[in-house]
Amino acid sequence: MPQQPVNSNEPLVKIRGLRFYRGERVIFDGIDIDIPRGSITAIMGPSGTGKTTLLKLIGGQLRPDAGTIHVDGQDVHKLNNKDLYKLRMRMGMLFQSGALLTDINVFENVAYPLREHTRLPESIIRKLVLIKLEAVGLRGARDLMPSELSGGMARRAALARAIVLDPKMIMYDEPFTGQDPISMGVLVQLIPRLNKASRLTSIVVSHDVQETTNIADMIYVISNGKVIAGGPSKQIANSTSFWVRQFMDGLPDGPVPFHFPAKPLEADILEKAAAHKTGATP
Amino acid sequence: MEQLARLGRTGIASLQRLGRGHLLLLHMLSGLTDLTRRPRLLIAQLYSVGVLSMLIITISGLFVGMVLGLQGFYILSQFGAEEALGVMVAASLVRELGPVVTALLFAGRAGSALTAEIGLMKATEQLSGLEMMAVDPIKRILTPRFMAGLLSMPLLAAIFSAIGVIGGHLVGVGLLGVDEGAYWSQMQAKIDLHEDIYNGVIKSIVFGFVCTWIALFQGHDCVPTSEGVSRATTRTVVHSALAILCLDFVLTALMFGE
Amino acid sequence: MVQMRTMEIMVGGFMAAGFVALFFLAMQVSNLSNLAGGDGYQITARFDNIGGLKVRSPVTMAGVRVGRVTEISFDNTTYEAIVTLQVDRSYNTIPDDTFAKIYTAGLLGEQYIGLDPGGSEEYLADGGTISLTQSALVLEEIIGQFLFSKAEEGGSDGE
Repeated sequence: MPQQPVNSNEPLVKIRGLRFYRGERVIFDGIDIDIPRGSITAIMGPSGTGKTTLLKLIGGQLRPDAGTIHVDGQDVHKLNNKDLYKLRMRMGMLFQSGALLTDINVFENVAYPLREHTRLPESIIRKLVLIKLEAVGLRGARDLMPSELSGGMARRAALARAIVLDPKMIMYDEPFTGQDPISMGVLVQLIPRLNKASRLTSIVVSHDVQETTNIADMIYVISNGKVIAGGPSKQIANSTSFWVRQFMDGLPDGPVPFHFPAKPLEADILEKAAAHKTGATP
Repeated sequence: MEQLARLGRTGIASLQRLGRGHLLLLHMLSGLTDLTRRPRLLIAQLYSVGVLSMLIITISGLFVGMVLGLQGFYILSQFGAEEALGVMVAASLVRELGPVVTALLFAGRAGSALTAEIGLMKATEQLSGLEMMAVDPIKRILTPRFMAGLLSMPLLAAIFSAIGVIGGHLVGVGLLGVDEGAYWSQMQAKIDLHEDIYNGVIKSIVFGFVCTWIALFQGHDCVPTSEGVSRATTRTVVHSALAILCLDFVLTALMFGE
Repeated sequence: MVQMRTMEIMVGGFMAAGFVALFFLAMQVSNLSNLAGGDGYQITARFDNIGGLKVRSPVTMAGVRVGRVTEISFDNTTYEAIVTLQVDRSYNTIPDDTFAKIYTAGLLGEQYIGLDPGGSEEYLADGGTISLTQSALVLEEIIGQFLFSKAEEGGSDGE
């Protein structure tokens, strides 16, 4: 594996000129993002801006149409399958739904990456799994099936699974969406704690402004396929840009319009009526 | 012009689907070496694909055999050839009904279940999750299911045919009074090991291959929503049934045509 | 979830049932049991016409199956069909003046060879030949002969 010398000041993830289209639709139109080591970086933006897509691009599950993504000095999309899989072992990803395997219980789910990638004896696997489950507070729930867990518990179990191989970085896909205030509080506390304890680099993709600004060191705001603001979270939170303000303050109308692009209402209504009339008398 | 363009779009989309299907097949086959190291995965799938299909196969086999016994008897007795009942029942089962009906039932029972399972795993990001855990979901999840389908089908078809022959015996010999010795001896004289039994087994292996392939592809290629999964499940059953019946004609023409 | 052990047992049962079914089809339904082994001795017989006789057609004596046809070939010089029969070892007292006839089982049934034993003290051995044979009745020939004789009768009546 051509391992480039890695400078520890170099950002862990370096995205340059990334373009990605889905059919005719432009998802990313040339974005540059740096994710520094050991930090929690939030990527924010309205729904439908392709935040999850960005994580899949970083994880090598999707290919960009242009641009590069370097993770730990390696170009993700130039790696062969074997090296990509090796790289993924050093990444954890927490999916929105948890993505736990539904036919095995919590313990087995967390043990799964260990059983797949290591030849550790059963006693060590058990210890490692229990430690990780303890970290997310689910040691007592190890015998439950994923269907018996609440949404927040499933996400925590998935988190335990994501960190069981001690990855370098972990990507959170909308960790706060659809959580009750208590589960949300647990996650808000858990993400920075894990980041510090395991010297992780975290990428949080979210549109929950309050929670995310609380835990993030860096924030990037994406809209319409471009990075419209990026920097330390304090700076973003106090930004005066209209774009950023609309998003951060949750204003219904602004640079992101309330109305989906359409022609003027009057024209649309009159045209409909005319079309109806002609249609009725062929 | 619009019509022509639409036709072209449909054509391109189908070709792309066909291409994805073949790529998936190659990918699944490349996982075979990994599977030999994990026979447990195959056993679990043989259970859900094979064992769970056995009940429907046995019961259907019994009834199809009994119906063949009844119908065959009424037709053959018009020619005074009731003794040939055994041949008729066995030949229709071993050559055609065994492989074909088993495959159709398999598509409905196991194929749709496979599609729904894979589709749901895709919709709930489990496949994506495996990928991010550096586990190849196609090799890990699809290959064992594919092999299980391939192995189960000939066995299920054999069970179907055997039970059907016994069902025909129950009706023909037990109910309608065909001579027991004639039932078996005529059957043995006319049914050829190579021509009938081997060819039947080959048919069911081909059907197993195609049915499982279709089911897994539809699951893997579905739109990851509940609606997408349910559509994919329907498509699995329809496509499998069509593929089975068309292939059956082709195979029969190749095997029994001179 | 079903326990792994139970699952293994049930899969084992399923595989066993499948193989038993295949074995049943091979042994009980098909002609494998008849084909099995070359346990028997060979006799040849020459026929002018064998009709629809095929390889594996049964050979019977007094209606009991004693063997089967293993080979059918054609003699280029005498224009006869040479039929090789395999007779089970246990039927080893077939007289050498036995008459071999080709019969049809029922009106539409298959053709088979029936052996009518003669009175000789000598028995047929492996490689022996049956010299007394009667050809198959070919339906068209019989009908043809019947029509021909009718026509002749009709012709003589007219005179």
